[in-house]
Amino acid sequence: MALADAGAPDLSTVAVPLAVAGAGLALHLALRLSGSRADEVLLPLALALVAIGLVLVRRLAPGLLPLQLAWLAVGAAAFVAALVVPRDLGALARYPYTWALAGLALLLSPLLPVIGREVYGTRIWVRLGIGSFQPSEAAKLALVIFFAAYLAEHRELIARAPRRIGPLPVPPLAYLAPILVMWAVAMLVLVAERDLGATLLVFGGFLALLWLATGELAYVAAGLALLAAGGAAAVALFPHVAARVEIWQRPFADELRFGASYQLVQGLFALAGGGLFGAGLGGGMPEQIPVVWSDFVFDAFAEEAGFAGALALLAAFLLFAHRGLAIALHAPTTFLQLLAGGLAASFALQTLVIVGGNAALLPLTGITLPFVAYGGSSLVANFVLLALLLRVSDESARARAR
Amino acid sequence: MSRTAVQDNIRALALALIVLFLVTSVGVGRRMLLSPELANDPQDPRVAAVAFDRARGPVLARDGTVLARGQPRQYAEPSLAQVVGYASAAYGAAGIELAYGAALVGQDSTDPLAVLRARYLRERAPPGSVTLGIDPATQRAAAAALAGRTGAVVALDPRTGQILASASLPTPDTGALADPARAAAAWAAARGADGRPLLDRAAQGLYAPGSIFKIVTAAAALEASVLDPTAKVRIDDPFQADPSWGAYAVRSSSAAHGDFDLSLAMARSENIYFAKAALATGGARLAETAARLGIGRAPALDLPASRGQLSRSGTLDRPTLVADTGFGQGELLVSPLQMALVAAAVANGGVQMDPHHAIAVRDGGGNALPTPDGGPGRRVLSADIARILARALVDAVEAPGAFAAGARVAGLRVAGKTGTAENPSGAAHGWFVGFAPADAPTVAVAVVLEHAPRGGEDAAPVGAAVLRAAAGRAR
Repeated sequence: MALADAGAPDLSTVAVPLAVAGAGLALHLALRLSGSRADEVLLPLALALVAIGLVLVRRLAPGLLPLQLAWLAVGAAAFVAALVVPRDLGALARYPYTWALAGLALLLSPLLPVIGREVYGTRIWVRLGIGSFQPSEAAKLALVIFFAAYLAEHRELIARAPRRIGPLPVPPLAYLAPILVMWAVAMLVLVAERDLGATLLVFGGFLALLWLATGELAYVAAGLALLAAGGAAAVALFPHVAARVEIWQRPFADELRFGASYQLVQGLFALAGGGLFGAGLGGGMPEQIPVVWSDFVFDAFAEEAGFAGALALLAAFLLFAHRGLAIALHAPTTFLQLLAGGLAASFALQTLVIVGGNAALLPLTGITLPFVAYGGSSLVANFVLLALLLRVSDESARARAR
Repeated sequence: MSRTAVQDNIRALALALIVLFLVTSVGVGRRMLLSPELANDPQDPRVAAVAFDRARGPVLARDGTVLARGQPRQYAEPSLAQVVGYASAAYGAAGIELAYGAALVGQDSTDPLAVLRARYLRERAPPGSVTLGIDPATQRAAAAALAGRTGAVVALDPRTGQILASASLPTPDTGALADPARAAAAWAAARGADGRPLLDRAAQGLYAPGSIFKIVTAAAALEASVLDPTAKVRIDDPFQADPSWGAYAVRSSSAAHGDFDLSLAMARSENIYFAKAALATGGARLAETAARLGIGRAPALDLPASRGQLSRSGTLDRPTLVADTGFGQGELLVSPLQMALVAAAVANGGVQMDPHHAIAVRDGGGNALPTPDGGPGRRVLSADIARILARALVDAVEAPGAFAAGARVAGLRVAGKTGTAENPSGAAHGWFVGFAPADAPTVAVAVVLEHAPRGGEDAAPVGAAVLRAAAGRAR
C-alpha cells in the first residue's frame, strides 16, 4: 500500500508506533507485576484499537496528535490505578447509591452554569481548570457499577413479580422506581443537553443489565417502548430533536444537504467511496467530513480500508465485547457477573450507536468510537473499563484456583 | 417467561450482540457497496477531485473537432454547454464530463488489473477520450437559428440514434465554471438566472406538444383501423362528441368548415379531425400507441433525460381528455428529444433506435471502451403506417397553404409538422418536428421555442435550417 500523503518523515512519524509499543509494554508489565491471571486477549485488542485510532488522528488531525498521546498516558495511568487501587472489587457494591449520585451528577453537570459548555449544539462538556471533558463517559462507568450493585441485591424481587399485566410482570412499586427514574434522567439528558448518544447509552446499558439480572425480555420491551414514547414526544415538542430525526431520515434533501446534514452527507460519501477494499491509507478524502477525527472516524477508516477493513474493525469490537461477556460468565459473584456483563454491553452499545450513526442507520450522536476516536474523556474511561474487566477476570481465575 | 440464571442471560446477550453487529455490518455494507448513486453524486468532493487532479482527455465531435480540452477545461462550442457539461473543482461535473468522467481521466480501462493498480498503487493511466455524434455544421446551424431565443433543438440520425445536434438556450458559461478564478461568479449567475441555463431543455425540458402530437394520434387511429387516410371527413366548428360536454367544445384550428383527408388535416393542423380520430380510437389504444412511441418514458440517453407524462394519471379515461390529447393538449408533457424520436421512428420505417451522444469512448491507449449504441431497434410502428404518416408529413410541408410551409428547403424534400402549444406559463410555445430527405431520411429534428409569438410558424424555419445542414453532411 502506498502512503501517498504521508508527507515528510518527522517526529510524529515515529511517535505513533513508539507510543503504542511503549504503552503496550508498560500496561503488560503492570498487569504481570500485579500478579494478575486475567484474560490475555483484551489488552492486546484494546491496544490494536488504540493504534488504529492514533494513526487516524495523525492522518486526519495531526495538530491534535500530541494531545491525544498525552491522553494515552493519562489513560494508561488510570488503567494502572484501576488495576491496583481497589483491593476488593466486591467492595464497589457496598455503596450503590454513592455511585448512582456520582453518575447522575456527572451526567447532569454540563447543565450547571459556569462550568457547563455548549459545543456544536449539544451541551455535553464541562470545563474545569486545565481543560474540558465529557462527563458522560465517566458517568457511564459509575452508573454501570450502580446498576450492577442494585440489581445484584434486588434482582430476585424484581424478577419474581407478584402480579402481571398481560405479559408484563409488575414488580412492587418501590423496585420499579429506579426504572422510571432512569427513564426520566435519560429524557432530561436528551432534551436539556441535546445528547442523544448519552441517552441511548445510559438507558440502553441499563436495559441490558436489567435483562441480564432478571431474564425478563418484557422489561426490555417495556423500556424500549418508554424510550420510543419519550423520543416521539421529544420529537413533537422540541425542534432540535425533530431536526436530528429529519437529518437522519432525509440527509440528501436539498434544503439539508448543504446545511444541517452536511456532515452526515460527507460521511456517507466517504463510505460509498470506500468500496470493497478501500482507497488505501492516505488515498481517500475523509478530511472532507467536518470534525471527522472525533465524530466520523469509522467512516474515515472505512473509506480508506474498505468494507473489508470496516468488517475487521467491527469484528474487533465484537470480540472485545464477547471477551467481556466471557469474563462475566465465569465471574464468582452475581455482582461481578453483572458488572462485567454491563461493562461489556455498554461498550458494544456505544460502538453500535456511533457506527449506526455514521452509516445513517440510527440518528447521529456525539459519542465516540471506543479507543479509536479522538477524545481524552473517552480514552481514559475506556481504559478504566478495560481495567475493571481484567480485575473481574483475575478474581474469577483466583476463585477457581482456590 | 421463566426466571433464568444470570449465566443463561449472559449467553443470550452475547447472541443478541452478534445479531446486532451483523445487522449493522449489513447496513454499513449496503452504504459502501450498493449505493452507486452515492458514489456518483456530482456534489461528492471525490467526484470533483477525480475531475481535477488528473489530466483530462478531450471531448471530440464526430469529425474530430475538439469540443473540450485542457485542464482547466476550455470549451469550444457554447451551444453545447449543457451536453458537454463542465468539470469544476468547486461545483462537481455535469453532462458528458460527468457521464464519461472516468474514461476522460483514464480511470476506466478494459484491463481490470490497471483499475486495481490505479486504485492501490496510484498509477495514473493516460487520459482517454470521448467522441460524440455531434456534427459541427449542424450544431452551428442550430445555434445560429436559435440565437436570441429561449428554446431547444435536437437532431438525430433516425437510422442509428446518434445525436447530430443538441442546443438549449440560454446556456451557462461552462468555461467560467471550470476556471477556479471565475467559477464562483459563474455558478451564482447560472443558478440565479431566470432562464435556468443549467437545464438541458432538449432532453430534460418538458412542454405540452400541441399539434405535433397529431402524428401519434394518427398512428394510433391507423393502427386501430378507425382512420382511412384518404377518406374525406366532414368538419364543422365547433365540435362536441355529445351534449354531456356542456360548455366545452373542440375548436377548429384552421377556422374552416369542409372535408378533410389526413394530408389536408396535417397541413392545416385541424384539431377537430384529430379529436374525432382520438375518440374513435379510444383512450386505451391511444395511450398504448403513445407509450410505445416513448411518451411518458425516459429515452435511454447517455445523459439525464425526462420522462414526461401522457396524463397526470398515466391513462386517458375521460372523453374530453382523449379529445384534448388527440390534438396535443390535455395533460401531455413531452421533451423535444421524445418528439424527435417520434419523428425518427416515422422516418426510419417504424423502427426506433435508442438516442445516444457518445459514439466512441477510448482509454489512453486508444482501446475502445464500452460505448452506447442505438440498440437492436424497436419496431414501434408497422412499415405501412410509417409510410402513410411520412407521406402526410410531406404534404404537411408542401401542400398549398400548409402551416409548416416555413420548413421548406430548396432541393430537399422535408417532412414535418408544426405545433403551437398552449401552456399555463404564458404565450404559446412553437414546435416543429420533421425529417429529411423524405424518401431516404438521414436526419430527424425537433424544435421548441418558448413563448414564440407566431407559434409553430416561428419554429419551422429553425427546423429547416437544421435539416438542411444535417442532410448535407458528409455521412
